[in-house]
Amino acid sequence: MISRLALLPLIVVLLGMTAVLMMLPAAHAAVIRDLETARAFFYSSLVLMMLTIMLAMATVTYVPRNAARSHLATLVGAYLLLPVAMALPVLQAVPDTSALNAWFEMLSSFTTTGATGYEAARLPPSVHLWRASVGWFGGFFILLAAYAVLAPLNLGGAEVISGRVPGRGAVGAMQITRIAEPAQRYTRYALTLFPAFCGLTGMLWVTLLIAGEDSLLALTHAMGTLSTSGISSGEGMVSSTAGLAGEMLVFLFLIFAITRRAFPSTLMEHDPRHLLQDPELRLALLLLLLVPLVLLFSHSLAAIAATGDTEIGLTASLWGALFTAASFLTTTGYESAFWVSANLWAGLEAPGMLLMALSIVGGGVATTAGGVKLLRIYALIRHGERELERIVHPSSVGGQGSEARRLRREGAYMAWIFFMLFAMSIALTMLGLVMTGESFDHALVLTIACLTSTGPIADIALAEPVLFGPLAAPQKFILGVAMLVGRLETLALVALFAPGGWRR
Amino acid sequence: MKVIICGAGQVGWQIARHLSGEKNDVTVVDTNADLVRRATETLDVQGVVGHASHPEVLARAGARDADMIIAATHSDEVNMVCCQIAQSAFNVTRKIARIRAQEYLDPAYSDLYNTDRLAIDVIISPEREVAEAALQRLAAPATFDTEMFMGGKAQLLGIQLDENCPVLNTPLRQLNELFATLRAIVVGVRRDARLFAPDPGDQLLPDDQIYVFTNSEDVNRCLEIFGKKNQKQERIVIIGGGNVGLGVARALEQRTDRTRAKVIERSRAVAERAADGLERTIVLHGDGMDMDLLMEASIDRADAVLAVTDDDKTNLLVAVRAKQAGCRLAIALVNDPTLAPLMAPLDIDAYINPRATTVSSILRHIRHGRVRHVYSIGDAEAELIEAQVMSTSPMSGRLIREVEFPEGVLVGAVMKGERVQKPTGDLRIEAGDVIAMFAMSKDVPEVERLLQVSIDFF
Repeated sequence: MISRLALLPLIVVLLGMTAVLMMLPAAHAAVIRDLETARAFFYSSLVLMMLTIMLAMATVTYVPRNAARSHLATLVGAYLLLPVAMALPVLQAVPDTSALNAWFEMLSSFTTTGATGYEAARLPPSVHLWRASVGWFGGFFILLAAYAVLAPLNLGGAEVISGRVPGRGAVGAMQITRIAEPAQRYTRYALTLFPAFCGLTGMLWVTLLIAGEDSLLALTHAMGTLSTSGISSGEGMVSSTAGLAGEMLVFLFLIFAITRRAFPSTLMEHDPRHLLQDPELRLALLLLLLVPLVLLFSHSLAAIAATGDTEIGLTASLWGALFTAASFLTTTGYESAFWVSANLWAGLEAPGMLLMALSIVGGGVATTAGGVKLLRIYALIRHGERELERIVHPSSVGGQGSEARRLRREGAYMAWIFFMLFAMSIALTMLGLVMTGESFDHALVLTIACLTSTGPIADIALAEPVLFGPLAAPQKFILGVAMLVGRLETLALVALFAPGGWRR
Repeated sequence: MKVIICGAGQVGWQIARHLSGEKNDVTVVDTNADLVRRATETLDVQGVVGHASHPEVLARAGARDADMIIAATHSDEVNMVCCQIAQSAFNVTRKIARIRAQEYLDPAYSDLYNTDRLAIDVIISPEREVAEAALQRLAAPATFDTEMFMGGKAQLLGIQLDENCPVLNTPLRQLNELFATLRAIVVGVRRDARLFAPDPGDQLLPDDQIYVFTNSEDVNRCLEIFGKKNQKQERIVIIGGGNVGLGVARALEQRTDRTRAKVIERSRAVAERAADGLERTIVLHGDGMDMDLLMEASIDRADAVLAVTDDDKTNLLVAVRAKQAGCRLAIALVNDPTLAPLMAPLDIDAYINPRATTVSSILRHIRHGRVRHVYSIGDAEAELIEAQVMSTSPMSGRLIREVEFPEGVLVGAVMKGERVQKPTGDLRIEAGDVIAMFAMSKDVPEVERLLQVSIDFF
């Protein structure tokens, strides 16, 4: 059955899944007797299912010319089409909203950005659940794509490890007469990843419930943490009733966005080393240690000119800083309930800059996190370290094995190209926003929020929250494109549109 | 004794040379006909061309009535299979294999090599032995030759005497009385390129090269008496990052004192392998003869340079160049023993002869009696033999002065139990003692006779 389904074009399968997923908020709305919302989701689901069945029948014999490239194209197609389908029920369930706003909301959820144009109170609870589910679905989708599509094509961070040209598969050996179909890969990886992804989400949900969280809030937080969308049905951690225990639980589960090797089924490579020796995890820990240190330092500076308010504790402030840093490093975007006090305590004027830098660094390769990714930063750091060594000893040879050498050489080159493309997309997006009338600092925050898929950063980066709601239509469109670019990574888009693909 | 040597390369050829020189029936096997011809033309050996591990080739080489097989081809695996076949098909008594890869030498799997499993009696690993020899030279930089005996309790030192030596022109007997507590004895003297075992009445002259056999605890005192001083080696430059260079650098890294080594290697691939195997040591890629590269390795401030590439001339030239640039000590690896006299004019402080170390380790298994260690001195001019005295030996139960040692033989030390003693005329040699003897090559058969126990050894 599953293998039959896998033969259909991926986009049709995804559409069907979206329709099935809509039953979840429909059921939730029915249970809490919000029948209008329930109806909106149920009917939308039915319409989409009909559409899926018709499309399935029409495309059952479709054979793509270049299977791998077609899946890359499908990936882009999914981000263009699915949010439209997902916006259907939102349009009906939320009174007086525009189609553009609904689409923006869904695209932001599906790319795990989690930026919202609505006030939390304006949406019915079931719509919040729908946002979280779409984010969760998007998180799983990008995780699956990283393994099934991007890694075989040397994209999404795999190029840093392999050091080969991104957008192309491995060099074929004579003996390899047949390579796995992407459809087969999808099926295989989906079957391995889905139970773990679901199980972890369920585990976090249940433990949050035990910690005393409200059930819907716990579920959206569990989904938001695993998919790094940072979507919450309330005001994030601030409205949580689980307090410190809840934050600690979320903090623990953020590791799945830091290194792919924390995930129960490791698929990308077999590394005998201990998890603690994982370079991504080590780099993340280092960065996370730095933030509380910066706070401590600035506190000691501020204390000289301090005027009072000594009631805020040291531990609470440090925890607030640590949690928020981890959450933004993984591009999730939950703000600790103690973050404000940490700011006050440290007397930082613009703590948002720190968080923006962290979210640009981003989480691990082949996880749900966005940003430049830790592995690329790691490759650049190692390369820099090696270059310094070469200043002292120009003809020295670097050690630590051929893999590390490749990471420092070709890997760092790839990482640098990516970094430059990323910087250029920041510049271009900002240019677009500023030209359509946004102020410079707002444009910067919005751009980074969308490109790193860390929507919630707009709320706390500046002294006043930057709102997505009041943005003009062209600006929302520009930000939508930025989210897509940030989620799929520039290299994948470049590979898709590279002249090599134009040939027949 | 009938010996088959598989592999006529550097190691195989040197072993063949040494064994054939001792009137053994030697057959050399190699796939390369040129190498076999070189061996048969220059040495008194027979040659067989073929793959060493093929039973048919071994049969042609006379494995059926061979006493010993020495597998020294460049491939570890061929050597292993060769020994296994010699055991299974031809029942050869003694099988020696050269194994280079450290992975095979892991102590955790040391029980792999016995007759029931991989039939190898003795594993020799020339690179490792050379690396050890290099480390010994570094440890005693004032000497030109050193070797450990009696499980590290005694040491043979080769010392070059100069005018500053305080004990010149003194009869050795008098020296013995002057330094009564010093457990050391001069066993060999090389004067005007001639090596001899000194009489008690002989005197030491400037420019003599002497071999002193000493208790390990007395090494520093002994060096002081002969006007030498041991200095600490902290900055070491190693030229050549192959197995030897890598082995030395690894051992230096494991030292607790702050020794800093730099390795220079010409081949990129070898340099990368060395860099992967080392942690703190800096590996430089380039030609060791390049002055800029040597300066990059700060040769002018280095305490010692160790030239261990596979080319003798490079080693010599690099050592000279390093000395000229200001390096305090130069040690070179020299395969060709005829180059040894060049060391003094070139101002190279010491040399390592891989042939001597390898051949020594093989000789140990050829000599009759309970021979524990043999060290070949100079160009096979003399040997230092360490052996256990058996109850059937003619020496057993007699005083040293009563034993009829040939003219070219001197007793270096006697170990009773765990104590190393200085040999005096009144010392009684008992069964079970370990005795170390310096013997000129011509007297080796006589020493063997002294140690030998007719049949029960086999």
